[in-house]
Amino acid sequence: MTVEQRIPRGPAGNLQLLGEPNASAAQSVAPPQRATLEPPLLLFEHVSKWYGPVLALNQVTLELTGGITGLVGANGAGKSTLLRMANGQIQPTMGRVTIRGVEAWDWRARRLVGYCPDVDAFYEDLSGRRFVWTMARLCGYTRREATRRTEAVLERVGMAHRAERKLRGYSKGMRQRIKLAQALLHDPELLILDEPLSGIDPIGRQELLELFQSLAVQGKCLLISSHELEALEKLTNHVVIMARGRIAAVGTLPQIRDLLDDYPLSVRIDVPQPREVAQLLLNLPDVLAVDVAPPLPHESPETLVVKATHPKRFYQQFGQLVVQHGLNIRRFEPLDESAHAILGYLLGGSGKT
Amino acid sequence: MAREVPDALHTHPRSEQPSVVRAFGVLVVQSFQRHWRIRQMGWVALGLLALIVFWVALVTQRNGWNLAERRVRRTTGTYQQEALRLLPTHRYWAATGDEEFITPPRPYEIPNPLQPTEEAFRSLILSIPYAVLQSDQFLYSWSFMTYSRWVMHLVFLGFALPLFTLSYASGAFGSDRESRVLIWLMTRPIPRSGIYLAKFLGTLPWCLLWAMGGFVAIGYAGGAPGREALSRYWPAALMATLAFASLFHLMGAIFRRPVVVGLVYVFFFEAVVAALPGSLKLLSLTFYARSLMYNEAAEAGYPVELLPAMTEAVSSPTAWAVLTLAIVGLNGFGMWLFARWEYRDDT
Repeated sequence: MTVEQRIPRGPAGNLQLLGEPNASAAQSVAPPQRATLEPPLLLFEHVSKWYGPVLALNQVTLELTGGITGLVGANGAGKSTLLRMANGQIQPTMGRVTIRGVEAWDWRARRLVGYCPDVDAFYEDLSGRRFVWTMARLCGYTRREATRRTEAVLERVGMAHRAERKLRGYSKGMRQRIKLAQALLHDPELLILDEPLSGIDPIGRQELLELFQSLAVQGKCLLISSHELEALEKLTNHVVIMARGRIAAVGTLPQIRDLLDDYPLSVRIDVPQPREVAQLLLNLPDVLAVDVAPPLPHESPETLVVKATHPKRFYQQFGQLVVQHGLNIRRFEPLDESAHAILGYLLGGSGKT
Repeated sequence: MAREVPDALHTHPRSEQPSVVRAFGVLVVQSFQRHWRIRQMGWVALGLLALIVFWVALVTQRNGWNLAERRVRRTTGTYQQEALRLLPTHRYWAATGDEEFITPPRPYEIPNPLQPTEEAFRSLILSIPYAVLQSDQFLYSWSFMTYSRWVMHLVFLGFALPLFTLSYASGAFGSDRESRVLIWLMTRPIPRSGIYLAKFLGTLPWCLLWAMGGFVAIGYAGGAPGREALSRYWPAALMATLAFASLFHLMGAIFRRPVVVGLVYVFFFEAVVAALPGSLKLLSLTFYARSLMYNEAAEAGYPVELLPAMTEAVSSPTAWAVLTLAIVGLNGFGMWLFARWEYRDDT
């Protein structure tokens, strides 16, 4: 199911979902001053891409103005094509991709974009520091400025004291950090990160997530493609879900979940009197089924698993029910609002990407 | 991590602003430095050069470019010995059995003193080879043209120079694509056509070093005719180097395995097709370089009839124009193409 393909965002990067897929007049609710003063940071306008007979992207319209956006989808969904197009490595067959109004294919657009590719290939005989410095020089900086920027970004990605070794001796995590460092060199407005967490240990992952968040706080726009859904969920709940070359859904995870009317919401409720509450719940019009699960060892309340349609309406009705009957709710947890579950619903199968 | 480095990347004095011209210059230098390490094809080129220099030096040491010292046939003596044998004195000695020859005298060589007029004419005609071989100018001209034909036209232009340039020019993009590091250049804020040109300019010194260095080494190994060939043919060698470098650089940008394509081109097209009679040779770069050499030798008064394959040589202005057009055209086309080409598998 297609939900929406345009992501106007507030100043703090909070994504807003606009409407249904066929809403032709997808309107921007970006801050007025931004909308009037300068073009969107990243804009895909009805973009399609054919690789011979294969349609890799199909009429994609997308707009990013800030914050962190996760890009998820199964293999072959078109994520890499979308990222490469945003970075000016490939051109759309139809439609237009612009960075602040400049065609992404134009070299001037690359001044605004930092790209951390998935490709794990370097000039292996260079040290990490030398590589980043060379990349800075290739951005057009003087030797002094390149040195200053190199030290700044190496410090930022936590590689300042480990950058003297040759790149061929680096671990996967260190290579990822060096890739990130070169993407930050020219202080770009838009950072495109393709699988930046791949191969990084849990501690390093947490550090990188913090770094991404700090970059977003500084006003950077991050577009992150990742298979690490749990990590992505920690970072942002604003996602672009791709399937078969289309944007299947855009928005926050709860927003997307709300739109999945075809799939009943599963909620776990822990209450001391499960059977009485189950009876009350079954009277609600949106509740399809209630399962009473036996309590786990060392846990006193029993658990109800409720399946309901129209989540928003169900939440309202359930709130009223709680107040009306004075229910003692110990725990209330939606079971399928995770990215995994939503992906599973959208893409079919387990939601694995 | 996630340490704040306040404003570390935000201060932009005017002098510290990025410059695309500076980036272009850095890429030229970086491309040059990337070729510092001699790669596999470099070693092949070095081995080939060593073989050619050894062969040329050996022939030179044995006076092999000199007509007088060459054998007429495997079983006969040298031209000098044959010319000597045809002189009246030696013919009479042979007839009287005072001198033994490698080959028995042919019927027309047998002296006939009973017919003095006929014998006088015969002696005169059979003495011509000896007289010719006494001319230093003729011998030197012959040496120079023989050296030009076999060393410069066939070996150097035929495959040595193309291989020298192929080994470096094709690697400018080829090695980057093979090791998948092209992405680091493609994400820099440099126009794509500028990336193409910078890579070419960074690689060109290596092509020139190998091709012209090889040219000089082969020339010095060739003795006096080799040294003269250096002074006369260097513009043709230079133009051929530039043209081949442009061609193989373009191949590197187009093909994933430019060395294979380049080798096929060198050994099939340049070596075989270009030698065929007809107009197909007009598509060969070496034909124009050979034409320049041919015309240079002709202007210097050398017997260019000794270059039978070059009887259809174009004029020097035409050859200059075509080679210049090839250099400019190939690079211009490469820049145009590279600015539109998507390196999907390499980035």
